[in-house]
Amino acid sequence: MGLELKDVCKNFGTKEAVKHLNITIDKPGVYGLLGTNGAGKTTTIRMILGIIKKTSGTISWNGKEVKRENVNFGYMPEERGVYPKTKIYDQLMYFARLKGMKQKEANEAIDYWLKRLDMEEYRDMLAEKLSKGNQQKIQFIISVMNDPELIVLDEPFSGLDPVNTETLKKVMKELIKENKYIIMSSHQMASVEEFCTDLTILNRGTTVLQGNLAKIKNGYPSEKIEIITVENIDNIIKQAGLEIIENTDNHYLVKIKKEKQGEELFKKLAETNIRVIKFEFKKPTLNEIFIEKVGA
Amino acid sequence: MKNLGIVTGFTIKEMLRRKSFIFSTLVLLIIIVLAFNIPNIMSMFGTDSLDEKVLVIDPENLFDGQVEYLNNMELGYTFEITTENLSQEQIKQKVENDIDACIKFTKNDNTVKMEYIVESASMNFGSVPQTLIASFTNLYSNVQISKLNITPEEIAAIEPQFDVELIETDENAAKGNVAIMMIISLVLFYAIFFCAQQVSVSITTEKTSKIIETLVTSTDSKTIVLGKTLGIGIVGLVQIILMIVVAGISAKFCMDPELLNSIFDLSSITPKLVILTLVYFCFGYALYSLGFALTGSTVSKPEDVQYANGPINFIAVIGFYLAYFSMMNPSSNMNQISGIVPISSPFSMPLRIMMGTATNSEIVTSLIVLIVTTILLAVIAIKVYSSTILNTGARLSLKDAIKMAKENK
Repeated sequence: MGLELKDVCKNFGTKEAVKHLNITIDKPGVYGLLGTNGAGKTTTIRMILGIIKKTSGTISWNGKEVKRENVNFGYMPEERGVYPKTKIYDQLMYFARLKGMKQKEANEAIDYWLKRLDMEEYRDMLAEKLSKGNQQKIQFIISVMNDPELIVLDEPFSGLDPVNTETLKKVMKELIKENKYIIMSSHQMASVEEFCTDLTILNRGTTVLQGNLAKIKNGYPSEKIEIITVENIDNIIKQAGLEIIENTDNHYLVKIKKEKQGEELFKKLAETNIRVIKFEFKKPTLNEIFIEKVGA
Repeated sequence: MKNLGIVTGFTIKEMLRRKSFIFSTLVLLIIIVLAFNIPNIMSMFGTDSLDEKVLVIDPENLFDGQVEYLNNMELGYTFEITTENLSQEQIKQKVENDIDACIKFTKNDNTVKMEYIVESASMNFGSVPQTLIASFTNLYSNVQISKLNITPEEIAAIEPQFDVELIETDENAAKGNVAIMMIISLVLFYAIFFCAQQVSVSITTEKTSKIIETLVTSTDSKTIVLGKTLGIGIVGLVQIILMIVVAGISAKFCMDPELLNSIFDLSSITPKLVILTLVYFCFGYALYSLGFALTGSTVSKPEDVQYANGPINFIAVIGFYLAYFSMMNPSSNMNQISGIVPISSPFSMPLRIMMGTATNSEIVTSLIVLIVTTILLAVIAIKVYSSTILNTGARLSLKDAIKMAKENK
């Protein structure tokens, strides 16, 4: 079971938007699709969902072509949109019915999701009267109310305030527990690190990095150490021949070339009576890996 | 296609919710009610009839006081008579206030001078109405003849009593009531053209509100285009039926039956005409709405809609004038062309059927051409719509849109 993209290409005229893309998502969870603007993320998502046609390659879900008839999917596009002059309930019901839900089933789902996202009070309000964040939550409800197996979220957290971001994160965690297959495109690396187990980074339509996030990070050597002490240890670090990148109230970020340099510094600190609160070899963040890969 | 009913239902709801639609429908209904109440409204303002008021000044009593008889002849004028020799200033004042026109008769040797005085002659195209000249000439002759002591039998022998009858040698000569034909052509044009335009507005609105991407992943493009076309068509049809019902009620309760019959010859409306008019409305509407769906697909901003619709508007106006030409020149060969060409046949054929100038084979051919063109246009419109839905930038030319559709095959 799962989604498979094999050698997928998309050309717009002479421009190659996506080049020979291969992705296999064979287990539930969140799969990250990363890239700079114009890297081909949204084009890839649109090809997966059949909104635009691929130039070549195959896209399948459980061995079958990804079509509404074969896959129960939900999609929250990057371009947020609602019918501005239509009541929230009416547009939710419209999309629920289009997705094949019966009236009663749709009513129950609408009630559940409006309550789950603290939107009950807006049920009979025109969409144009809602804030952008709340309109975004309506779009999220449209993408999940039909209990889809595959959920595609394009920039789900952009434009949300911290409270709504937290609410949406909780819901996403519930969806992960329900073994949903989720594809998430985002520029917010922290969110990707929080949710994604596997990912693909695209740059100008080409895959520049792909695989399990933890393995990718482990493949990188530690180049920094984070140290928190109760006293100033500038001299000890300098004596070890290391460079201090940052120091804020004895919270240090120290650059190392080899992990062995870190181990030696740790030994020196242990020999002193200075109380060390934290000493951690830091792997590069996803943000740093991303910047390295796309050459920003 | 199982979602067709859902899209149609939602489109109908959206249309009925629009304030602009409610307002325009109300305005149309009010205009219809007012139009049928014009005689009543005029009487409320003290005007007893629509007749023009004419003051006849006959200071020499040339008509022997017989002018009053003209009031019984329904000439479209109400005559007031005076033998007082009013001055030019007095006449001017009357003409500029309570009288539409003034006629002054004076005799000079054997010539009777008839002065027709109005505030402005532009309404009469700069001439004296022939009806008035003929009526007063006839009346004057009768007055003079009566002075010759001729018996009524002799008068009857002198005056021609023609039994006038119109006979047409062409069995297929045009029939029909002009007033009803004009109303049918206008209603068809309004219904087909203005309702169909709503399809492009609806498509562009979905692009502007960015809901389109969610929509196309919920159902297919074919269902969206056809559902919108069907929904707006149903609303348009209901609006037309409402207008006809209101017109019927207004005519029945607000108009004098004699006046009504003199304007509208309802006997020319046959069941065949009603059914075929509805058929032509449906396919004509489908043709134009799909044309507007095509142009609506090429834009993403409401302000570009009118510009994009330009070619279809132009085609519709040509179609309407071809139909109008058919009505005004029923014997012209152009009628057969306007009845077959799909852009004009929805407007033209109902009129030709009413005039009795369309043969059954012409009707069948015209419908086949119209239906085939509509299907072809539907295929193109759906293809272009599917390929251009994500175009949110500048307006695409139709050529570019069709090219995109071909590339996206």
